[in-house]
Amino acid sequence: MKSDTIIKVSTLSFVVIFFLYLFGPLIVMSLTAFNSSAFPRVSPWECFTAEWFNVLINDKTLVEGIKNSLIIGAGVVLLAVPTGLAGALMLTQINQRVRPWYYTIVISPILIPGVVLGISTLVFWDRMGRMFGFGYQSIFYDGIFLTIIGQSTFIAAYSMLVFISRLQRFDNAQEEAALDLGATHVQTFRKVLLPFLKPAIGSAAVLAFLASFENYNTTIFTIVSQSTLTTVLASKVRYGINPSISALAVAIVVLTLFGAALLEIVKRKEQREEKAAEAAAAAATKGDTSQAAVKRTSVLAEPAMYILVLVFIAGLGTTYFAGTMGVNECKAEVKAEKKRKVEAAVHERQQKDMFRNAAPTFKSGTTTGGARKKLDAKGTEGYQSIFAPKNLEEQSGTKTEKPKEKTKAKGTEGYQSIFAPKNLKKQSGSD
Amino acid sequence: MGSAIQKFYLRNGTALATFLILAVGFWVLMMIILPQLYMVDFSFRHNLPPAEIGGPKDTLTTEHYEFMVYGSAQAEGEYNTVTLKVFGRTLLAALFVTLFDLALCYPIAYYLAQSAKGGWARLMVLSLIVPFWVNEILRAFAFRILFGSGGVINGALISIGILDQPIDFIREDVALYAGLGYAYILLMIFPLYNAIESLDRNQIEAVRDMGASWIRIHRRVVIPFAKPGISSGCTMVFMLSAGALAAPQILGGPSSLWFTQIIYQWFQSGNNWNRGSAFGLVLLVSTLLFVLLMMKVFKVKLGEIAR
Repeated sequence: MKSDTIIKVSTLSFVVIFFLYLFGPLIVMSLTAFNSSAFPRVSPWECFTAEWFNVLINDKTLVEGIKNSLIIGAGVVLLAVPTGLAGALMLTQINQRVRPWYYTIVISPILIPGVVLGISTLVFWDRMGRMFGFGYQSIFYDGIFLTIIGQSTFIAAYSMLVFISRLQRFDNAQEEAALDLGATHVQTFRKVLLPFLKPAIGSAAVLAFLASFENYNTTIFTIVSQSTLTTVLASKVRYGINPSISALAVAIVVLTLFGAALLEIVKRKEQREEKAAEAAAAAATKGDTSQAAVKRTSVLAEPAMYILVLVFIAGLGTTYFAGTMGVNECKAEVKAEKKRKVEAAVHERQQKDMFRNAAPTFKSGTTTGGARKKLDAKGTEGYQSIFAPKNLEEQSGTKTEKPKEKTKAKGTEGYQSIFAPKNLKKQSGSD
Repeated sequence: MGSAIQKFYLRNGTALATFLILAVGFWVLMMIILPQLYMVDFSFRHNLPPAEIGGPKDTLTTEHYEFMVYGSAQAEGEYNTVTLKVFGRTLLAALFVTLFDLALCYPIAYYLAQSAKGGWARLMVLSLIVPFWVNEILRAFAFRILFGSGGVINGALISIGILDQPIDFIREDVALYAGLGYAYILLMIFPLYNAIESLDRNQIEAVRDMGASWIRIHRRVVIPFAKPGISSGCTMVFMLSAGALAAPQILGGPSSLWFTQIIYQWFQSGNNWNRGSAFGLVLLVSTLLFVLLMMKVFKVKLGEIAR
């Protein structure tokens, strides 16, 4: 039985590693949102702060992107869910011989790369616009319209799959019974089939919205000159990163966890009520009427729900207060600490230079004042970069073998790029 | 044909039947078939300014496909090595990502389907889904933080003394493979899970009682049974990672490109939509052919996959 335990232990450790891979990156990213360092990282930890959330809220392009994403998401739900429903209903009625062909065609958008879907949508509607003589201001060139169409092409297929799996459990006799009893076709559809499909409509809508909200490959082609959340994010991430993006990620992760917990609570409640209803029915057949009435309560009355909301509010409050209190003091401290380090480094460098140059008349002073003068003469770069944490750090390290050359070579170019985090990274990486 | 439509109308009623025909017609024609067909036509035309489209210069050409293989006429060298290399590398890397995901997800799917119980299993499934509600870009961003030269992994490796210099994981494409693999875990794990879950546990017990080793159980019982799930997961992951754009843009090294990035460049900075379309079609057709070839090799039918 020894091999059994080995298998068990290795399975468990594999599961642990797997979930570490799954959550590790998200956790690290979330932590960086609370570090006051201008570059998203966890070590060295500077100050616990909530300022990046403020930066996030005040970012106009991001807010504009979110707005467009919401509009597109709503549009996709309105277009893709009915289309998917129609596609699924059509599949149940279509001629047996045509069915495999039909199915292959409507399922194909799932397999076609998103890039190709985006291109074909863009090119096709450009052609339609030209054919009907519409100008570049018309709807055929509108990024939002094109994106809704492009995304719906494959999202409709997703929602069709949701409807198909629900329809497989539909008893056709119900529909026939309604028709026999004199209901019209429209009535049968509305009173029998639609209520049966209601849960599927809900989940298809959620799925469609989420898929639309996070789509990038198709959107980047169809959005033309406008922007959505994902395209704004992508350009931000590509051309320089700062922790406000991590802050957005934290917001999304928290909302997701909240949504998942909510879903779980609702599910458990439904299961419990189903069981209670069964028990009540069983009791009723035995003639015991005392338990027959099953109480149906709102989800809001669940104790777990209270806990969830309380945790959510408490977490939000704690973060806010902890993130705003004492941040400035802490930051000032970190800054002073860095300044001290830099001055020490400059001092050290100064002394080394002195030994190397062996020109005592030139450099009589080894005080900090002298060091500053020297720095000024070299160009303002080294001095200015006090506010760029990364630069400082590596300067203060022991790896500065040829500090003089480096400072000179950088000149004013380094000075201009101080505020571009990517540049900083490159500089520090080059050492 | 006419009678079929009549029957269709009779069965559904006028309003519903009209809705079904319009909705499905719009979807199939205006969103799937015509755009794809038009894209094929478009990729065989010269890149002309709008005024000349439909004019005498607007003829069919294979210049874009020729460009992909041979490069431009002025360029030296017989073949367009840059594009072809990127193309080959993209397919290989996508295959690698697929195998990585399969190796990673198979044990987990097996564990979830056969060993985990009740609430614990449900919690695990739920926590599998949660990371995938987070935006694709943000996931890539997370890997960039993790693998950057001042990132957590380099920091950890240096502090325990394995490294003394940070490794540039982004240049080495480690970050890209890890990020791509991460992005499609869910698409691999659910088909596998569905397939393995329907395997009767008694079959495994029976084989084990007869003395089969642990490896043999998987090779002879579980894997053959889960083949449709495995191939459907692999198909999805391969197609999606070959067609990925966000992760390569964010995590790709400065000297390595993904084929979709070349397509994107022809659309944006290259301003040659026709060539971009041609390259896009090459991507679509080659990935599809590759998947069909693999299915032939492993003897899986298309019907089993598209369930």
